[in-house]
Amino acid sequence: MRKIERFSVLEYFLRSLFGILAIVLLSVLMLIAAIFLLSNQPLTSIASFFAGPFSSLYAIGNMIDHAVPLAIGAVGIALAMRSGNMNIGGEGQVYAGALVTTIVALALPGWGLTGILIALTSSMLVSGSVAGLSGWLRERWNVSDLITTFLLSNIIILVVDYMVAYPFVDPQTNLISTRFVDPSYHLPILLPPSQLNTALLIALLCVISAHLFLYRSRTGFELRMVGDNEEFARYAGVDHRLYRILPMTLSGALYGLGGALAILGTYHATIKGFSAGMGWNALLVALIARFKPAAIIPAALFFAYIDAGARSAMFYSDVTYEIAYIVQAVIFFLISSRILQRIALGRRRV
Amino acid sequence: MKSITKIYPETQRRANDQVDFTLFPAEILSLAGENGAGKSTLMKILYGLTSCDSGEIQVHGQPFAHPSPIEAGKRGIGMVHQHFMLVEEFTVTENVVLGEESTALTGFLDRRRNRQRVASLIEEHHFSLSPDDRVMSLSVGQKQQVEILKMLMRDVNILILDEPTSVLTQLEIDSLFTTLRKLQRHGVSIILITHKLHEIKDISDRVAVMREGRMVGVYETATVSEEDIARAMMGDEGLSVVRKERHQMNLDPVLSFDHVSLIRHNQDHPLLDDISFTVHPGEILGCAAVSGNGLGQLESVLLGNLPVSSGEIRYHDEVLTSVHHTATTRKRGIPFVPSDRLYTGCSLTEKVSDNVIATSRKRFFPPFNVSRKEIESYTSQLIETYGISATPSAPIGTLSGGGIQKVILAREIEGIRDLIICCEPTWGLDVNSTAFIHRQIVQLRNDGVGVLLISSNIDEMLALADRLLVFSRGGVSARFSASDMSSLTKEELSPYLLGKKRMEVTLA
Repeated sequence: MRKIERFSVLEYFLRSLFGILAIVLLSVLMLIAAIFLLSNQPLTSIASFFAGPFSSLYAIGNMIDHAVPLAIGAVGIALAMRSGNMNIGGEGQVYAGALVTTIVALALPGWGLTGILIALTSSMLVSGSVAGLSGWLRERWNVSDLITTFLLSNIIILVVDYMVAYPFVDPQTNLISTRFVDPSYHLPILLPPSQLNTALLIALLCVISAHLFLYRSRTGFELRMVGDNEEFARYAGVDHRLYRILPMTLSGALYGLGGALAILGTYHATIKGFSAGMGWNALLVALIARFKPAAIIPAALFFAYIDAGARSAMFYSDVTYEIAYIVQAVIFFLISSRILQRIALGRRRV
Repeated sequence: MKSITKIYPETQRRANDQVDFTLFPAEILSLAGENGAGKSTLMKILYGLTSCDSGEIQVHGQPFAHPSPIEAGKRGIGMVHQHFMLVEEFTVTENVVLGEESTALTGFLDRRRNRQRVASLIEEHHFSLSPDDRVMSLSVGQKQQVEILKMLMRDVNILILDEPTSVLTQLEIDSLFTTLRKLQRHGVSIILITHKLHEIKDISDRVAVMREGRMVGVYETATVSEEDIARAMMGDEGLSVVRKERHQMNLDPVLSFDHVSLIRHNQDHPLLDDISFTVHPGEILGCAAVSGNGLGQLESVLLGNLPVSSGEIRYHDEVLTSVHHTATTRKRGIPFVPSDRLYTGCSLTEKVSDNVIATSRKRFFPPFNVSRKEIESYTSQLIETYGISATPSAPIGTLSGGGIQKVILAREIEGIRDLIICCEPTWGLDVNSTAFIHRQIVQLRNDGVGVLLISSNIDEMLALADRLLVFSRGGVSARFSASDMSSLTKEELSPYLLGKKRMEVTLA
């Protein structure tokens, strides 16, 4: 007989909480250690790293703005992972979403709110179908979603790079970039002079709806059942095939939305490679949040804080931005080892 | 092995109770017993996969105090598990030498030498294998040969085989037995875990029989008959459950099987062979068999995991499955207690409450439900009604095996209309949980529900079933009507269970 591990409910809760706190604490310790090693003025560096992001409303606003696409993408990842699927093609899906929105906005100048809605919807449709395709491939031929999402994403990045560099390039600038979308497409700024804009509200809405969807709706309940134990879900009469495709499509759509909002709220043009890292970072945020929508907000903020801290430390002292990568790497390492453990225990049976 | 006792903390059940066990050099010994009799536990203790709570083990006269599979390997004990432990992507050679590789001076694998060692072993035992075959391309019988090669490579002198014949065809069984006899001549002692009686007679020198965690007897195989062994395995005392008078039986059937067959191209006989039966309201129809004789397939077909090859299954007049279509039993919401309660019957990491409502999702999410109060209170109510020690928000994996089974049964009973299917409902459960489950099943029958009980536990069958079908090699070997059941004994049953006798089929 297979053995079951047993904990009490309280122990279960404490274990999960402790795990996350331990990861955060360890990564902060690693950060401090790294600064002491790398900096000639470690105290200034540490001070500017930790206090920098809170030094002004401008800094705070930008930090939160930075967290917005991460949070939206992380919600998508959470939906895919909770259903037992994997979408690691975020990089391409964010980038594609950004380009599609830019193209729509450039094609329909001055349409304002209607244009924004059309742009966002098209981005979600495009990125959603790309990820949905991977879900369908797995459902139909059992092709690994891990591989297809990743490879498709690489192709998309190259295609978008080309589109930005040739058909849609703005010859007026030195950047490889499309033209800027007109101001009727700009999302209203919430906290001037920072870049924080109404995309924040959409991100919050995404998190709340994802939470309600997962825990309060029948579809969400079935999605979790499939992710948790497909055998059981099938036994209970759930159409498990639907839950290969639906969550993948949703996760792609949310990545697309994240990219689109970054354009309309912050960048106003698709600059070549502007979103590099967003897809991976969103995955990381989702991992820290253990795929629980409610935990995504603090996780995204923590992530954005590390990023802003590194920028600030780079600006005010002698360390380089790479210090942020060290912290990210440590977090990634600590978290993925847990994931590996879970896979090793056979929780995710492929 | 002396006075081995093992208590599983989950169920407080004595899986092994003061078991004494001796194995002589170069003998083949069969370890027989029903499911849950403690055979596997005893062998796991010997092989070091689990530890015993008391007792001592000696191997070749030396105390074997802290067993582990590695330590067991050093003492020359090898085990071939029922589910093979092979790397599918590796070749035969790579699998066999894994952990015992010959390396060249450079520290790299000496491929040629490894291959040669394996090739000569294959040669010596006349196995139908090539050292370069990938394991994934082999048949089940060949995979088992690879497992045995692994043992030979390690020079084992005590070889444990767990249910080695359950997945083999007759030809493969014959060649396995030839190999085993040859090993025996080389001085290897072999323990064969099995419950197939003719194989015991066929191959072993002695047979040790276990029942309910105790060693009930060790016999010279030549001096006992299959019937004697069967009696020892099953015990004399049956289970007693209060049964009510039967209802009138002229109601239309709720579930009917109409000439259902299941054929797999790589098997030499049908997995299910022309099965026909009906389940009526207010009766328990039992399907009994020794495991590996079709009950598992029957369950898979009913669950909708396997499409039938011919025939029809009907719920009232509605067809649940026809050729090449998997059954819609579960989509129709017909209550079902699956035999694999941990992985099919529930989702271990989810809350008890979420497991309870998993089969009544429409009721609790119509299609949105902003408050979980209703779910929690419904679960609490169920927990109280069925006397389950649990809280609604605890993950169900924190419950005992009996607790989990009670939750599953409670959930399925709540969804009942006129039919329930129960597979191995009390497998591995302690006495109290078993009695509880039996009472519930009888109660359902008395309330006019049709019960299809699929179980390899013969005591359970004799105690509960109103009518009984016996399966052997995928076909029905005997049918007992309600009037037969009152006087039916295990002795009468066993030839049918063992496939030695077959009744002329008269459709009930």
